[in-house]
Amino acid sequence: MDCPIKTQENREWLLDYSAGRLNRQHAVMVERHMEACPDCAEFVAEQRVVWEALGRWEPQEISPDFNRRLYQRIDQAKPASWLQLLWRPLVPVAAACLLLVAGVALHTPAAPPRVETVEPEQVERTLDDLQMLRELALTPPEEARTSQPM
Amino acid sequence: MSQWVKEDMGASLALDCDVELMLRVKDGDGASFALLLDKYRVSVTHFLYRMVQDQPVAEELAQEVFLRVYKSRETYEPAAKFTTWLYRIATHLALNWLRDKKNERGQERLDEVAEDGPVRELPDRAPSVEQRMVHRVKVDEVRRAVAALPAKQRAAVLMHKYDEMEYSQIAKILSCSESAVKSLLFRAYETLRVRLAHMA
Repeated sequence: MDCPIKTQENREWLLDYSAGRLNRQHAVMVERHMEACPDCAEFVAEQRVVWEALGRWEPQEISPDFNRRLYQRIDQAKPASWLQLLWRPLVPVAAACLLLVAGVALHTPAAPPRVETVEPEQVERTLDDLQMLRELALTPPEEARTSQPM
Repeated sequence: MSQWVKEDMGASLALDCDVELMLRVKDGDGASFALLLDKYRVSVTHFLYRMVQDQPVAEELAQEVFLRVYKSRETYEPAAKFTTWLYRIATHLALNWLRDKKNERGQERLDEVAEDGPVRELPDRAPSVEQRMVHRVKVDEVRRAVAALPAKQRAAVLMHKYDEMEYSQIAKILSCSESAVKSLLFRAYETLRVRLAHMA
């Protein structure tokens, strides 16, 4: 067997041998070669350290609701039913109608404020009354008394 | 010759019961999808976790993987092993996520020590606090060493080490030649041998 490191041939055998995945026949060849090749022996020793170190790295547990969340996403991604498809184009129309009604309600002019109207005759009567009161106030009390019938 | 290869490939795919299950999913069998999900949920999520080193992100990406499998069931064609297809989707999503993250923040987090490390309680013999701390430090070193690898090398190492994939399958997943995968792995392991040499 030629040196896998020097010739670059079958060098994956060294990786596989370090990982314990090389078939028996090739493993024997690698072992025999390593007896005479310190470079390959060193490579295998160092690779085993890496392999063992990587083996220490255990991943975290997966969330228990993983499947539930996935099926929820699948349901959301499913195509809509015929009823939904029928209803879908009506939604914007309904929304537009709703907006229209709301707009009309908001823009209806409010009842004008109530303004008291005063008739001209009423004004005239009030002025007459005021005139009469003024005259009565100017009249002396004696005169007023004598002017009264006995 | 090519006919022979095709027949051989057809025969090996016929033996792939996952392909059979996926073809049933294609025919609308939800139970077969559930079986595939149960079979690969853990390995895909763990692969993604080791790629992105963030558990919530890994689960989110794993969900996206299975969602894509489900969505593309109608167009599924058994051109390769089911796991090749599955891991190709997973790798694609992970590499995209890493690229986007790199664009967002640079690579500063790659050397960070994660607070929410994946260290589990050591089983049984109740290790001392000191032993647990040593274990945690070693695992963090491994995590950082893997995180420092270029994304494609990282993917190759993870599939080789943890999923025990053949070079040919990793090549198909990464869309490159088998010799390119071997080169990727040799470069990656060389880096790791230097970084983790003191752990002997």
